[in-house]
Amino acid sequence: MFDGLLLLGQGIGHFLTPAALFNVVWATLLGVVIGILPGLTATMGVALLVTLTYKMAPDQAILTLMCVYLGAIYGGSRTAILLNIPGTPANAAATLDGHPLAQQGRAGLAMGLATTSSTLGTLVGIFFLAIIAPFLAEAALKFGSYEFFWLALFGVVISGQMTGSDTPLKGYIAGILGLLVAMVGMETLHAHQRFTFGIPALGGGIDLIPAMVGAFGLSEILSAMKRNAVAHVASVNDRVVPTFREIFQYWRTILRSGIIGTFIGIIPGVGEDVGSWTSYAAAKRASKHPEEFGKGSQEGLIAAETGDNAVVSAAMIPTLTLALPGSAAAAVLIAAMYIHGIRPGPMIMVENPTFLYQVVAMLLLATLANLVFGLSLTKLFIQVLRVPRQRLMAVIYILCVVGSFAITQRMFDVYVMLAFGVVGFILREMKYPMAPLVLGIVLGDLLDLNLRRGLLLTNGDPSPFFTRPISAVICLIIVFTILMSIPAVSKRVRSLFTRGSPAPAES
Amino acid sequence: MDVPTEPNETAVRARADLLTSIVLVALGLTIFYLSWTMPRLEARHIHPATIPGLVPLILSVALTLCGTLLAWRSWHIEAEGGWRGLAAVFTTRQAMRVLVILGLALVHTLILVGWLPFWAAAMLFIFAFIMIFEIWMADGPVSPLSSLAWAIAIAVLGGGGIYLVFERIFLVRLP
Repeated sequence: MFDGLLLLGQGIGHFLTPAALFNVVWATLLGVVIGILPGLTATMGVALLVTLTYKMAPDQAILTLMCVYLGAIYGGSRTAILLNIPGTPANAAATLDGHPLAQQGRAGLAMGLATTSSTLGTLVGIFFLAIIAPFLAEAALKFGSYEFFWLALFGVVISGQMTGSDTPLKGYIAGILGLLVAMVGMETLHAHQRFTFGIPALGGGIDLIPAMVGAFGLSEILSAMKRNAVAHVASVNDRVVPTFREIFQYWRTILRSGIIGTFIGIIPGVGEDVGSWTSYAAAKRASKHPEEFGKGSQEGLIAAETGDNAVVSAAMIPTLTLALPGSAAAAVLIAAMYIHGIRPGPMIMVENPTFLYQVVAMLLLATLANLVFGLSLTKLFIQVLRVPRQRLMAVIYILCVVGSFAITQRMFDVYVMLAFGVVGFILREMKYPMAPLVLGIVLGDLLDLNLRRGLLLTNGDPSPFFTRPISAVICLIIVFTILMSIPAVSKRVRSLFTRGSPAPAES
Repeated sequence: MDVPTEPNETAVRARADLLTSIVLVALGLTIFYLSWTMPRLEARHIHPATIPGLVPLILSVALTLCGTLLAWRSWHIEAEGGWRGLAAVFTTRQAMRVLVILGLALVHTLILVGWLPFWAAAMLFIFAFIMIFEIWMADGPVSPLSSLAWAIAIAVLGGGGIYLVFERIFLVRLP
């Protein structure tokens, strides 16, 4: 316990240098600007910034990326409030009450509430990150190939189930496509080249960063430019800094949303948007004034913004301890960590125990920077919203080319970016979620290697995959998740729990 | 005269899903064939349960199954006018905007990069992008002189700035 506090103190002290604080300032500002601009998401920002941080020291590079990530998730709330368009998908729930508040002439209050609740959400997530991650890392040391195979599969399945907005089937398909992408190139057990079709550049497989820059960069440029020009920006005439009472009268909502966000963050590949919507729905159910939700409820806005920011911190729990990305942006962070020689996974508390607490310190600094900038730089951020998108997107495309080229310096990676951009755009248009696809690419190798290594260890006998206790539990959860995505089964299961009680009203 | 009603979004998506599911099933079957015929490295005496094609084989079956389920699902959705709506999607102004961006991106990346210095290719791309979307495909009122000035300024600052920041300050090599 005290060791943890000491390491946390050291982690914070580590970044209290002028150079680190300078990185916090510019990266957070850049993150907020990325979040504010509709069409630029946190994942895209982090993926593009990996290139810029390539030559930095590892701790400073991850600090910069973390500030961009957190800044972008927070920044998106501005657009949600002022334009009624979520700046990033995470802020979609914030539009429901944020924009009505702005229309009632309380845009300043809405922004103040969003800023403060974002900070509180991050703090709740950070608390659980510092508490849970060391224990999870220790427990994960007992995991073998069997458990890691199931965990990888669990990540893809649960992400597919929870992010498939149209039907879970599309989430599963996206996940399988991601896993298949990961099958390209040299496999690690027998060093055999798969699906390379004689193209030498495919031998090393498809790198995550160019794929992500395409799927989240180019495809978002296409999505943003496809739409007609954005609407009128609401004016801000009232004060931005909220009073203590305005925030803490909703302490129950803050705590509940923070815990829900944390739980969603821990689930691999289920990102901020799900955290935000789930917190919002829970707050509406528990509220004394559910009729105000959607019409400018302060409680609703607080729930949405606490929920999504708690996910960011909590997503670091599986990311650091199991190397299972807690969100799409966390997948890019994993790739960035590997580039900088940091190996996330169960061994992190053995090999690099200070790093976990450094991440906690990074999140703390980033959220404090968000709070300060969010409450003070209102006018500047509103100006960002007025930048015509065509002037911005042209420059973003050039950054996509640079971002995909710079890591390995191959034009092949730029072509990968282009291909993933086009395919990603088509999949998005057809309501296929991107998170399972990304998770599939990241976890494909882990799944493949651990399945075959497990079979090798048992001489081809698959029974340990089902009989070892942890394996059996994860396997059952996967089966249950898949069964629950079949409408007939989920209806029957739900009826078991609701039998005797009146049917819930459709909202 | 009868005006045909606009097919709704669900109908269009159902038909688009049907088309995609055919592509997915074809992809699944192709990968199944490639995985089945993948070398099993018998000469190296590896365990048959660890052949390189094992996981792709399982994934191809899963993809084919999901593709079939998607086809079944979309086939059973009432989609009056879905095909007509789907064809119309490709002739909208939105589709035109997407195709223009893709065209610009392909010309920049496949032709200009390598033929011109990176900063020059970047400047040309940014200039063309802004001019096209502010004049030819503008959403609102057009002011050519102002757009020209902005396009030149952003092209020079953006293209030159990216070159300076990445190659000179962060020492990252550019294409």
